[in-house]
Amino acid sequence: MPVFEVHGKQYEVDEDGFLENPEIWNEDVARDFATTEGVEGLTDGHWKVINYLRSYYLQYGIAPMIRKLCKETGFKLNEIYDMFPSGPAKGACKLAGLPKPTGCV
Amino acid sequence: MKQPDSLNEMSREERSPLAHLENEDLMPLPAPLDSPAKDHNWTALSEQTRERYECGLDDTCAVSVPKPKNRQEEDELVAKFLSGLDKLFTQENNWTFLQPLVLTMEHCAQCQTCSEACHIFEASGGNELYRPTYRSEILRRLYFKYVQGGGLLSAWQHGDIRLNWPLVARLIELSYRCNLCRRCAQTCPIGADNGLVAHELRKLFSQEMGIAAKELHDNGTMLQLKAGSSTGMNAEAVKDNIDFIDEDISEKTGIAVKTPWDVEGADVLLIHNAGEILAWPENPGAFALILDAAGISWTLSSELAAYDSVNYGLWYDDAQFARVAVKHAEAARKLKVKKIVLGECGHAHKALAVIADRVLTGELAIPRESSMTLLRDIVMSGRLTLNPSRNDFPVTLHDPCNLVRLMGVVEPQREIVRAICPRFREMEPHGVDNFCCGGGSGFAIMSGHNFQDWRFHVSGRKKLEQILNAFSDCLEPETPKYICAPCSNCKGQFRDMLAYYRLWDKHRILYGGLVELIVNAMTDVKPGFIEWEWH
Repeated sequence: MPVFEVHGKQYEVDEDGFLENPEIWNEDVARDFATTEGVEGLTDGHWKVINYLRSYYLQYGIAPMIRKLCKETGFKLNEIYDMFPSGPAKGACKLAGLPKPTGCV
Repeated sequence: MKQPDSLNEMSREERSPLAHLENEDLMPLPAPLDSPAKDHNWTALSEQTRERYECGLDDTCAVSVPKPKNRQEEDELVAKFLSGLDKLFTQENNWTFLQPLVLTMEHCAQCQTCSEACHIFEASGGNELYRPTYRSEILRRLYFKYVQGGGLLSAWQHGDIRLNWPLVARLIELSYRCNLCRRCAQTCPIGADNGLVAHELRKLFSQEMGIAAKELHDNGTMLQLKAGSSTGMNAEAVKDNIDFIDEDISEKTGIAVKTPWDVEGADVLLIHNAGEILAWPENPGAFALILDAAGISWTLSSELAAYDSVNYGLWYDDAQFARVAVKHAEAARKLKVKKIVLGECGHAHKALAVIADRVLTGELAIPRESSMTLLRDIVMSGRLTLNPSRNDFPVTLHDPCNLVRLMGVVEPQREIVRAICPRFREMEPHGVDNFCCGGGSGFAIMSGHNFQDWRFHVSGRKKLEQILNAFSDCLEPETPKYICAPCSNCKGQFRDMLAYYRLWDKHRILYGGLVELIVNAMTDVKPGFIEWEWH
C-alpha cells in the first residue's frame, strides 16, 4: 500500500492517493490532504462541503450526487471547483476521507 | 521517442520502460491545440510507484501489479500464466471465443492494414509498442511455442519468444493499452481480431491469475454483485437519489415526474448505467419524462445489480460477465416485463443484448432492446411535440463503439438528431468507421497513478482531433456547442478530456446525452432544459 507522508505523519493511501481507511478521518486529515489537491487554507465554505460529504457518506456508504451536493450546500459547481481545484470527486472527497468514487461516474 | 526494436525486449529483466513519448512525438492536433510545447507535461510515475509495481512497459501504469518478492514467486506466476494460456485454447475452458481466437492466431498475414486503423497507434506517432500486431504477435509466438508445442522448425517459421515474468508483467500492462474498439478487426481483410487478443489476455490474467484493473474488478463487478451497483449504491441509496432527480426534473421542466419502481407486468424494464444517476442525473430524469409523455408502460427494478446496467466483465472476465448478465435477466423475469431496454450505455448494450445471448436461455431469454430504437420510434411517431429551434446550436454525434460498430445501431440516433438539431454536423469518419472516445474498455474510469495522462494524450487524441474538426467553423466562445454522446463511459472521457484541455472554458464545447436534446426540444417543457454550465 502506498504511503502519503505529510507534516511528519504517515497515511496509508490507494493508488489515487485516497485515504485507505476512511474511518480514521478527522479534521487534521482534511488539512493534511489539502496540500495534495491545491487547496490553500480551509474556509467555512470548504468545511461546509467536507462536512456534508462526510455525513452523507456515513449514512449511505458512498459519495452523494454532485447535484445534491450543490443543492444541499448552496454552492454552484464552479464555486466548488474554485474551492477544490481538482473537483468534487477527486478533491473534495479526498479531503473528506471518502474512498474514491467507483463505477462510471 | 523511445520504442522497442523487437518483441524480445518484452522479456528484458531490467525493468526500464520499453517506450517513452514526448508531446512532440504525438500525432499533431488542429488549432487551438496545435502547439506541442503548450500541451500539458505528463506526470511522471513516482519513485514509490516504480518500486512497488511493475512499470516496465511505458510511461504509465494501469493495473498496479505488485512486484513479486523473489524468483520463486515469479516462477509461480509464470506457471499460472502457462496454465491459463492452455485453457484459452481449449473448447471446455473457452467456449465463448475459442474459434475467433484460433483463427486470429493462425491467419495473420502481417499486412498491417490494422495498424493504419488503430487510433492509439496513430496518436502515439506510430510507436511500435502500440502497433496492434505487436501485442498479437507475442501471443501468437507463445501459442505456437507452448500450446502447439512447436520445436525448432516452428520457432524458425513463427518466430521465437522467451517466456519469463518480465514478459508476463509487461503483457499485463499492454493488454490495457487497447480500447477494445475493434476498428482493427473491422478492417482486417482476413478477419483477424487484435481487439479480441487484448480481451483474451485480460481474461487469462483475471480468470487464471486474479489480476485485473481494480476499477473494473474489485471496485466494479465485485461491488456491483455485493452492494447492487458498481457505484456502491444500495437499493435505499438509489431510490433516494431517484426521488431527488424526480423532484429536480419536475421543478426544472414544469412537468411532474415520478419514476416507477418494481412495477410487475410493465412493458419495459429500463436499466440505466448507475453512473448516470450519480453524475448525470438529467439523463435518467429526461428518460422518465419522455417515457411518461409517450405513454410507455415502464419501470425500474430495485433488485441487486438490476438498477445498474454496467457489466465490466465484458472487458476482462467471462465468468464475472455471466454472473452480472444473469442478474439483469432474472430481475426482468421476476417482474414479468415484456422487454429490457438499455439506457445510454454502450458496453451495457453489447453485453446484455449481444454477448449474453448464449447465457440467457429458457426463461431468461427475455427480449432486450436499445433505447436508441425505442426513442427513435417515440420521436418519429409524433407522440411528442418538438420544436427543433430550441436546439439551435452546433451539435455533433459521437458513435459509442459498442453500440455502433459492434452492434450496428447506426441510424436511429441519427434520425433523431437530424430531426431535432438544425445545426447537426457529423464527425469524420463516423458511423461504423468512428473512432473510440479513448475511454473504451473501462479506461474512462481508470485513473490510477498518471494513467489519465496517457488516455488524454494518446487514446483520446484521435477523438479530440475529430471534435475540433467538427466544430472548426464555430470555435468562438460565443457559440455554445454540444457533443451528443449516448454512452456513460464516453461521457466520462469527454468530461475529463474537455476539462483537461480547457475546451469548455475557452471554447464552450459541452457534452451530454441524447435524451437531453429531446427534452430540450419539447414544447411542453420550460425552455432551457440543457444548462450551459460545466458539469
